[in-house]
Amino acid sequence: MQNTSFVIYSPSYIIRKGLAAIIEKIYSNNTIQQIENTSEFFELIQKNETDFILLDINCPQIQKSITKLKTVSETNRIVAFYFQHKPKFDIHFIESIDINYPQNKVFKKLNKIFGKINAPDDGQNIPDEISKREADILRYIALGYSNKEIADKLFLSTHTVVTHRKNITRKLGIKTVSGLTIYAILNKLIDINDTPQI
Amino acid sequence: MIITKNIKMADVIHLNYHTLSVLNRFNIYLGFGDKTIEEVCNDKNVDINFFLEIVNTFVDKEYFPKKQLQTFSVSLITDYLKKTHQFYHEVKVPEIESLINEMIETCYTQKENIVLLKKFFNEYKQELLNHTQREEEVVYPYTLSIEKAYNQEKIDSSVVDLMKNYSINIFKTEHDDIEEKLYDLKNILIKYLPQPKNVQLCNKLIHELFILEQDLNDHSVIEDKVLVPKIRAMEKHITKKLSK
Repeated sequence: MQNTSFVIYSPSYIIRKGLAAIIEKIYSNNTIQQIENTSEFFELIQKNETDFILLDINCPQIQKSITKLKTVSETNRIVAFYFQHKPKFDIHFIESIDINYPQNKVFKKLNKIFGKINAPDDGQNIPDEISKREADILRYIALGYSNKEIADKLFLSTHTVVTHRKNITRKLGIKTVSGLTIYAILNKLIDINDTPQI
Repeated sequence: MIITKNIKMADVIHLNYHTLSVLNRFNIYLGFGDKTIEEVCNDKNVDINFFLEIVNTFVDKEYFPKKQLQTFSVSLITDYLKKTHQFYHEVKVPEIESLINEMIETCYTQKENIVLLKKFFNEYKQELLNHTQREEEVVYPYTLSIEKAYNQEKIDSSVVDLMKNYSINIFKTEHDDIEEKLYDLKNILIKYLPQPKNVQLCNKLIHELFILEQDLNDHSVIEDKVLVPKIRAMEKHITKKLSK
């Protein structure tokens, strides 16, 4: 499963901690950054690397920075949190959640949002098993060939080989060439006597 | 929970037993009765602030050292880091090796495959050795020279050359991912190696690999949160002083 990144912004320690704990509960594979400083927050979200932003919209610093917030391209990733009174914004949030909601309502809303990223986009569900093509490439990797050499042998572009390699690593959970070689031997893709480095 | 000097040393271990190996690096060994951290540190001639920084960083992932607590010297940090290196090479790695050897000796069905794992681990061992050697031969001496220059009235010109060729930011970027092979080894054992006969041995090995990985992570946290910011501040100060 892919790593999902969250940014939590609130000046309140209790709210930050609480939201982080809830995210941990429903989503195991994540990185959470908790931020209490406005300028640091804007700096971070301008980088556009975050999957979701959990924003405390009651805090005065944010209400002052609405125009700035609108210029950030990530507004479509913001989940807004408020306390009792929802402040008026002309920004479209994916969801607005009152922190007074009971547990099941909070979970229901969050699951609705995060379920979306969990589900495969337009049928592009990649299976965990490696394809035949990937097995071909894996065999060459294990035999000690470089990306360029593999590309030449299989009549592919180097770029395509690199993409395949990334997918192999992600699927198997093995990053290094020696690790991939052991996998190839264990799965009889190559014979132990053929390998140069092991 | 933040650990303070008035807490009993015994409670530190109850709180998180992984601190045991940390205590040993300070030459603190079990049997301290009801003594507090402060008392034990005084007995053993250990800098209390430094001890608290290390233990807190180790116990609490989100702990961030306070600037006013960073009073201790760079050599204290590098000595500690060197001790962790020693711990990997003299304790953890041999432990893992002997487990793998035991697996080879007792397993008849998977012998060849486990021999492969052994070779793989040997490669890793060499990588780890190169990594720690580079730190001890290049990085730590650099940090010590920076500290020395920082404390001098007049800054020696040799430091200028030194800083031209290296900086703590370079260390941060070149600090390579030493955990990759460890990660692979864990996954091969967990997902792909046909289960050897001796299940307990295999479990023990995986357990040890997780512990080593965790300790390596904690080790780089000390470098990133304590050593790097400290040296960066000193570099800044020196550059400022030089430009005057």
